[in-house]
Amino acid sequence: MAFFVLRRLLLAIPVVLGVIFCVMLTIEMIPGDPVTLMLGEHATREAVEQVRHALGLDRPLLVRYVQYLGKLVRGDLGRSIREGRQVSQELADVWPATLELTLAALVIAVLAGVGAGIISAVWPNSPFDALARVGSLFGLSMPIFWTGLSLIVVFSLWLQWLPVGGTGSLRHLILPATTLSLPSMAMVARMTRSSVLEVLREDYIRTARAKGVGEVLVVLKHGLRNAFIPIVTLLGLQFGQLLGGAVLTETVFAWPGLGRLIVRAIFARDYILLQGAILVFSLAFVVVNLLVDLSYAAIDPRVGRQG
Amino acid sequence: MGSTAGARMRSDVWRRFRKNRLALVGLLSVGLLVLAAVLAPVLAPADPGQQDLPAKRTAPGRQFLLGADEFGRDILSRIIFGTRVALMVGTVSVGIALGLGLVFGMLSGYLGGIMDASVSRAMEILLAFPYLLLAIAVVSALGPGVLNTTLAVGIWATPAFTRIIRASVLTLRDTEYVQAARALGVSTSAILSRHILRNFLPTIIVYSTLYMANAILVEAALSFLGLGVQPPTPSWGLMVATGRDFLLVAPHIATIPGLAIMFAVLGFNLLGDGLRDALDPRLRT
Amino acid sequence: MGGWRKGAPYVLAAALVLAAGGLWQDVQAGEKRGGTLTIVRPTDPVSLDSNLETTAPGAWVYYNITEPLIVLDEQGKLQPRLATSWQVLSPTKVRFKLRPNVKFHDGTPFNASAVKFTVDRAFNEKPGARWASLAGPFAGAEVVDDLTVDLSTKEPYGPALRSLAMAYVGIVSPAAVKKHGENYGRNPVGTGPFTFVEWRTNTSITIERNNDYWGDKALIDRAVFKVVPEEGARMISLRTGEADMVIIPSPSQLPALKREGQVNVYEVVGGRIIFVGFNLAKPIVDDVLVRQAMSHAVNVNTILENIYEGAAVRPRGYLAPTVFGFKDMGLDKLYPYDKAMAKALFAKAGWTPGPDGILQKGSQKMTLSWLASRGRYLKDAEMAEAVQAQLKEVGVDARIQFLEWGAVFSQMRSANLDHHMYTFGWITTNNDADYTMFSSFLCKNAPPTGWNRARYCNPKVDELIEKARRSVDQAAREKMYAEAQSLMAKEPIWIPVANTKEVVVTQRFVRGFSVHPVEYNLDLSKVWLDK
Repeated sequence: MAFFVLRRLLLAIPVVLGVIFCVMLTIEMIPGDPVTLMLGEHATREAVEQVRHALGLDRPLLVRYVQYLGKLVRGDLGRSIREGRQVSQELADVWPATLELTLAALVIAVLAGVGAGIISAVWPNSPFDALARVGSLFGLSMPIFWTGLSLIVVFSLWLQWLPVGGTGSLRHLILPATTLSLPSMAMVARMTRSSVLEVLREDYIRTARAKGVGEVLVVLKHGLRNAFIPIVTLLGLQFGQLLGGAVLTETVFAWPGLGRLIVRAIFARDYILLQGAILVFSLAFVVVNLLVDLSYAAIDPRVGRQG
Repeated sequence: MGSTAGARMRSDVWRRFRKNRLALVGLLSVGLLVLAAVLAPVLAPADPGQQDLPAKRTAPGRQFLLGADEFGRDILSRIIFGTRVALMVGTVSVGIALGLGLVFGMLSGYLGGIMDASVSRAMEILLAFPYLLLAIAVVSALGPGVLNTTLAVGIWATPAFTRIIRASVLTLRDTEYVQAARALGVSTSAILSRHILRNFLPTIIVYSTLYMANAILVEAALSFLGLGVQPPTPSWGLMVATGRDFLLVAPHIATIPGLAIMFAVLGFNLLGDGLRDALDPRLRT
Repeated sequence: MGGWRKGAPYVLAAALVLAAGGLWQDVQAGEKRGGTLTIVRPTDPVSLDSNLETTAPGAWVYYNITEPLIVLDEQGKLQPRLATSWQVLSPTKVRFKLRPNVKFHDGTPFNASAVKFTVDRAFNEKPGARWASLAGPFAGAEVVDDLTVDLSTKEPYGPALRSLAMAYVGIVSPAAVKKHGENYGRNPVGTGPFTFVEWRTNTSITIERNNDYWGDKALIDRAVFKVVPEEGARMISLRTGEADMVIIPSPSQLPALKREGQVNVYEVVGGRIIFVGFNLAKPIVDDVLVRQAMSHAVNVNTILENIYEGAAVRPRGYLAPTVFGFKDMGLDKLYPYDKAMAKALFAKAGWTPGPDGILQKGSQKMTLSWLASRGRYLKDAEMAEAVQAQLKEVGVDARIQFLEWGAVFSQMRSANLDHHMYTFGWITTNNDADYTMFSSFLCKNAPPTGWNRARYCNPKVDELIEKARRSVDQAAREKMYAEAQSLMAKEPIWIPVANTKEVVVTQRFVRGFSVHPVEYNLDLSKVWLDK
């Protein structure tokens, strides 16, 4: 098991290094350089050159890449070009917010999605089922930023129940987390419904029911176990969507997280900050994929052994 | 496949599809979109670029059926012309992703080894790469505009297609059928195109339809963040983005294009679901 | 007489009552001390060290913490601050008499050494201040005695005084800079009416009243600057009471807000002009008739009314009114909105409408390429779209290329601009005409050397600009700039569309505030909360 984990983590390294290099190369190639942008319209060429030299940005790409890697090995993510703060500090400031948002969205998606899916499966073709299925379709189809804006209009402007944006309390979390969770919730609901339905049709279930075993137990024990692997896989894939959706959600709700940091860094061409953020991002992916695989192994021991 | 067997299968598929009401709704919706795109100049009541500044932000009513935007332009006309952008982005970007996905997916799935390892790593790198940066890079290199944004969206969708195709190829590669063909000396390209590809055609069709929905959403998001379609070309996503500033005073400017996006995406989703159910009922989710 | 004496006590009593009543009124209407002012604005600064932070978000905070020697009042006149008087000793030297008994927030005394320290730190040390080149060719400062300091420039420099009044030139505490080193930007120490308390990155910055301030003490206890990037969200926080003051409010809501009267809307014409510029190095627009025709085709008033909705006024020239050297160029009279006139001028230049309505000259069509940004300046993209439609009406096919700011900026700065037109917003940072004239209209200052994006070359104008820059005779300078602007008006080089107002919206109970035409000068020292 430990070997499995280690191997997976090691395999991630070349990918991450590759991404870092690609980011560096891309920023180099697109127009706009971080210092010029930082100093603004009123800076002279001398001022810009001076700052570029001071920050070591006038050295060739490969030299900078190697230096970055050297620092990385020592755990130093460098300093952001724009603010000169430690990248590790900047990331520490924002990633809890994104984690909070993503986890909250995940929890909402799972609870509401599984719940709705189970109810739909136990009473198929009921009004609830119809509503849930249509609702899922809508949930999948609504663009996240539009959903967010609409929720703001309804809950913050018209009803004035919830704050518009920013962070600070549970009330601030509700709208963005709900917005972000909707597509995933819809998929989870559909997945749960079909998995549970499939199980409920099986013969041995009918036998159990005929014997009088409680419906609820039947559903919970067998239906969920059957649904578990597809749901976990889905969530693993969804986590990527969630992190990506976090960018849009964070923009709409002014949520101070990693997504907004990445957008800021891209527009400012602050590649050092961006690389640090991508690092965290990709490591998150790797960890999540790993957890998903580990949970399979917990259900099905054969998976763990083949690595 | 013999022609009669093929014809029978096709009519089976159509029969199953026809019975599924939601699938028909999807087909109808997509059909409506295509119609709107093609007949836009005829259907639209006004020139989508015609400004009337004093009439800015007019609420939906007699003068403008769906209201006017911040420049006094007719929203209904802009929605209709906007279908062109949405459909173009949807189809062309999926086409690009499919093309690239087929090449990379089939090569890496069938050949395995180093090819597989490098393609897989490359796709992982692409997945971890921030999408916004990718879009900016494409737009910077090629200039802004619908076509180039479409390319960016296509590249974005490539890893997913590659993965699906690779997985399908893997499941089919070691079947007796294919092994027999190999033993008989059939060329690699023939095996790939005739035996393997045909078997996962349904998966491709379904996936492509579903992904078109995603593509429209991504283009909308790009316009929302400031890249993409150039005014005065109407893009639904851009309309939502610029309508944001007026949520308090004129919510219809952002809301209505959002509904259009949802309608299109829903349509493609329903159609894709319907195709999947019809082509292989066992795949039903 | 007798009667008067008899009534005197009553009169006196009445007078006393009245006086007491008046006094009572005064106390009621008087300013209240205390409270916290919550301010929302779009972004956080990068640093509170003015050497490193030259954008508005930083200045709004440190303008209250550090003070320059002299400041610009709301009429654009120089006023004493940390300097009580000044004297021009020679074309390259100014002597300042400093205010006595002033202390920095850390207790150390304010004196000529502190001024010299600040000036050297900005101009003579590495890396120096990022605004150093904006300020001009300053050489340094000499301490004459504890309360007298001489500032000198490398060559005669007319705008010297105005440069020193910029928000960036606040005098910093040498002790604090030495103590904090490179962290000084997160622990600014000055002499101002507020002291720095804390900074939670990208969330809020808190400052509190300096009770040892040399002048009138501030009235509020604290001010908290919060980050709220979304314009709509800022306005909502005002409605919900989460915020007391909104910087950069939403223009579309201003008319309603003014009507409703539930909040205070402070506005004043500011220093930024947003314009459509021409690139005289490109064909078609290098023809003065074409540029004049296009100036007639733009309906500036309807754009101001419907897009800016009162958040900006019609520019009266290429400079803002508070800038020293400003002249009303009379552009609205020279180029009134007149489509017929536009078409006539195009015809004179050889351009007539083709079969599709687009102007053409021989086989060449009037298709122009236009570089624009979105969201960088107030309503920049919307303005561009509106002008594009107006130009279409007279047959000009202007193709706008919207790019994100990084790309736009890098194209603007490069030696080659492959567009006929561009949108830009410009502010004359030190409020002296030289700042804009020298960098934007001097022939040799084309990018990347300077900011002459238009690639404008006029030897007579060049001569006027150079002479005005080196003269310290302010009256003479004004005349030279006036002449230059008259010449430029006939060209025309830019189509100025909006002179934005500085607008700040506050809750009704926020009193004592007035908004400064220079965006950076956010003065909280007189604000009080009536609640």
